[in-house]
Amino acid sequence: MHDEPLNPNNLSPAAIEQEQLDARIVRALETTPKPMVPPDFAARLGSRLPAQRPESLTPTHYGRNATLLGIVAAFVALLAVALHTTAGVAVGFVESLLLAEFIALTVWLTVRRQSLR
Amino acid sequence: MYADLTFEQVVRDHQEMVFRTLLRLTGSREHLDDLAQDVFLRLYRALPSFRGDALITTYLYRIAVNVAQDEWKRRRKDRDTHTSLSDETSGWEDRLPHPDRNAEQQLEEREFQEAVEGQLQRLSHIERSIIVLYHQEERTYEQIAYALGMPIGTVRTHLHRGRKKLREALQPRQTHERNATCTMNR
Repeated sequence: MHDEPLNPNNLSPAAIEQEQLDARIVRALETTPKPMVPPDFAARLGSRLPAQRPESLTPTHYGRNATLLGIVAAFVALLAVALHTTAGVAVGFVESLLLAEFIALTVWLTVRRQSLR
Repeated sequence: MYADLTFEQVVRDHQEMVFRTLLRLTGSREHLDDLAQDVFLRLYRALPSFRGDALITTYLYRIAVNVAQDEWKRRRKDRDTHTSLSDETSGWEDRLPHPDRNAEQQLEEREFQEAVEGQLQRLSHIERSIIVLYHQEERTYEQIAYALGMPIGTVRTHLHRGRKKLREALQPRQTHERNATCTMNR
């Protein structure tokens, strides 16, 4: 009798057994237990909570909103200054400041939004 | 995303996940209710620092792992005999029948499941936690790394090491079963 491997993939019996064992272990690990959760668990826990009121679960976006408002305000101000006919040194300085603020806020908001994704 | 969610709703949405994770991590039904309460109370206390940049689920996994670790430490101190998952009184596997298999195969699989549970409890806490989060809770490496606060490479290493230990521990059993089957077939 030839000593040919029975497996078409030329796996040794030991390797086959190893694979079967791995599969069994994974199957056992992936079997999810179904523990009995007491029906009143959430209510019972609710009554046990300390007096301290938790923070809202809703993430706040005060900073982002303020930034957006700042961008809009800077843009409107830039338009107003640009329409100003009597351009002097002071007006030019204000315009530069507003432009810098506008660019800085826009860049900061864009970078932050990308980092939060 | 979490607008208008009350804490009680959060508990209701996640209680099953917390119970089953704790059950697998501690290997015991004993104090399961208390441990789950502890998890949610810790979440409640942590909410002021919750910035919304992580899912509540991820946060809860981290807390559950910590609570389970504390429980293990407590047990080690007490040195009390505890009910194992493989004990007669617990046996959640009993409620997982395989309708397409015969009774003998079912029994064999149940015994194997119990053996896996037993060996799972022999692993280190971190290996057990990672195996449970990966296989049972189907979390990704990234999610596990985030939940446990460790690099992804470390997660992979612990997972690999834990599975290797399980395999080595269960190998003799598999061989024994195979030999028994061969003897019966002769």
